[in-house]
Amino acid sequence: MGNSNLSVSGTAPHPAARPATRAFKMKKHWNKYAMIYIFLVPILVHFSIFHLFPILFSLYITFTDWPIIGDPKFIGLKNWINFFSDQLAWKAIWNTILFSLYYIVPTMALGLCLALLINTGKRGTGFFKGIYFLPVVTSFVVISGIWAWLFKGTDSGFINSFLGLFGIEPQLFLSDSLQAMMVLAGLSVFKVCGSTMIYYYAGLQSVPDEFYEAARIDGASRWHLFWKITFPLLMPIHFYVAIITTIGSFQIFDSAFLLTSGGPNFSTTTIVYYLYQEGFTSLRLGYASVLAYILFFIVFGISLIQKKALGKEVNYK
Amino acid sequence: MNKVSRWTYVPLALLGLLFIIPFLIMLGGSFIPMKVPSGNPFLWITEEHVSLSNFMYILVNAKFTKWILNSLIITIIPVFSQMFFAAVLGYIFAKKQFPGKEIIFWVMMAVIMLPSQLLIIPRYIMFSEFGWINTYWPLIVPEIWSILGVFFVRQYMQTLPKDLEEAAHMDGANDFTVFFKIMLPMSKPVIATVGTFAFISNWNDLLTPLIFTTSEDMFPVTVGLASLLTKEGNFGVEMAGSVLSFIPTFLIFLFFQRYFVKGIALSGLK
Repeated sequence: MGNSNLSVSGTAPHPAARPATRAFKMKKHWNKYAMIYIFLVPILVHFSIFHLFPILFSLYITFTDWPIIGDPKFIGLKNWINFFSDQLAWKAIWNTILFSLYYIVPTMALGLCLALLINTGKRGTGFFKGIYFLPVVTSFVVISGIWAWLFKGTDSGFINSFLGLFGIEPQLFLSDSLQAMMVLAGLSVFKVCGSTMIYYYAGLQSVPDEFYEAARIDGASRWHLFWKITFPLLMPIHFYVAIITTIGSFQIFDSAFLLTSGGPNFSTTTIVYYLYQEGFTSLRLGYASVLAYILFFIVFGISLIQKKALGKEVNYK
Repeated sequence: MNKVSRWTYVPLALLGLLFIIPFLIMLGGSFIPMKVPSGNPFLWITEEHVSLSNFMYILVNAKFTKWILNSLIITIIPVFSQMFFAAVLGYIFAKKQFPGKEIIFWVMMAVIMLPSQLLIIPRYIMFSEFGWINTYWPLIVPEIWSILGVFFVRQYMQTLPKDLEEAAHMDGANDFTVFFKIMLPMSKPVIATVGTFAFISNWNDLLTPLIFTTSEDMFPVTVGLASLLTKEGNFGVEMAGSVLSFIPTFLIFLFFQRYFVKGIALSGLK
């Protein structure tokens, strides 16, 4: 009878249909999450091994006396306490601050000037943009190699022979404990201001034209336009660039390692250079980890300021 | 500020000269034979004998070809795997919904804010245990994907219109088809940015290989050149080494500059 057909569809599904539904559900689940299982899960494992674990592990290392060869010994807070009385560590922090002072403002100012120049839209600005940007992609090793000869502290150095033309006495440069840090800062300004230029260039292009037009009708000079309109409108970029150059400056290592080896008289021993020395020359991994954490606290503090500064974004309209 | 006079070219050119001079010194110096030891420009500008002897010298006496090869190995592999994983994970974080998505993403973003120097010592101890010191592994394995790259691609894919992928899903396409046939081709520029960033940062890295390689045979070109700079004291030889290690970055710069510039403008982080 036709009735039996109807009754089947009205009641609970046939027992044999259930596994099929489960398989269907699993297939649906798989279709939805396949990429996550295949790609994200392995990456999360990688992330845990190579990022999360080392971060936690390094905190443990700070509580140990861990020579590279031999077994670690748990010594509690001793490394942390030692840090506070370590004259050289504080000198390294001071040196790094000094480096930032020489480096941040020139990098920002020069980056802004370069951005203003290429933003004029003249023919050939793209070519110059490329030239200004070239040091950004060049390694510190290559630039330091050139810098070593430019700033050689004898009369055979390039800059010194140039100064000699004007009767200026040869400068010590890298072998002078006051000048050495300035030379390193100069190298970083040269290397980094091309990327600062890009940030400012992006910022300049987002400034609406109407502002200038209105002001120009009022007869404002270009000098005025810059200080009254362009400069204040770039405020978010100033904040942002200031923060990233500051963070970058606290991580300076390459040029101090290559050009001065932290000298003369520890005057270019920066935080990361000192960390490297303690860890891999003095073989004190525990103490070097404390220095890494100090660096982290400093950078973290700067990032917090960044968040606050970026919180009050300036609106153009 | 449209009305700018022709005088703009004066500072443009002067600054351009200032930026290019160090590179010209490098290039010029590399062709000056070794017997001129001095960096004094007034001695070597008048030098008449220009030769390739510096290049011959470092290729024969230093393990320069080996260093370049090492650098290529530890750069090329991460470049391609970072591009791939940035694309896939960028897609997952931009377009897929799954439990824990937000937390995972923001933990990654928090980790990227940490100074990388924090990772060096624990990784050194780990890699010693693995027996990885003086191998390629510590320079490749941690670099196979990058958080920053994932972030770039995610930001980019979030801005792409949903219509295309939705239509494809309606037609019964699965995620793989949508990813490979639609999202990947549309995201080529940002993936190129990730690759360019990866190339420059891996090729130029000094601190990591300085710690994880100890024998000359394993040095990448940065560490090799650094050892040459401290050892040689010969201007021409040093500059020849600098030129050789500079060429690959210069080529990348020539062909991919706009992607690199785009990446800098994109990065809210580096």
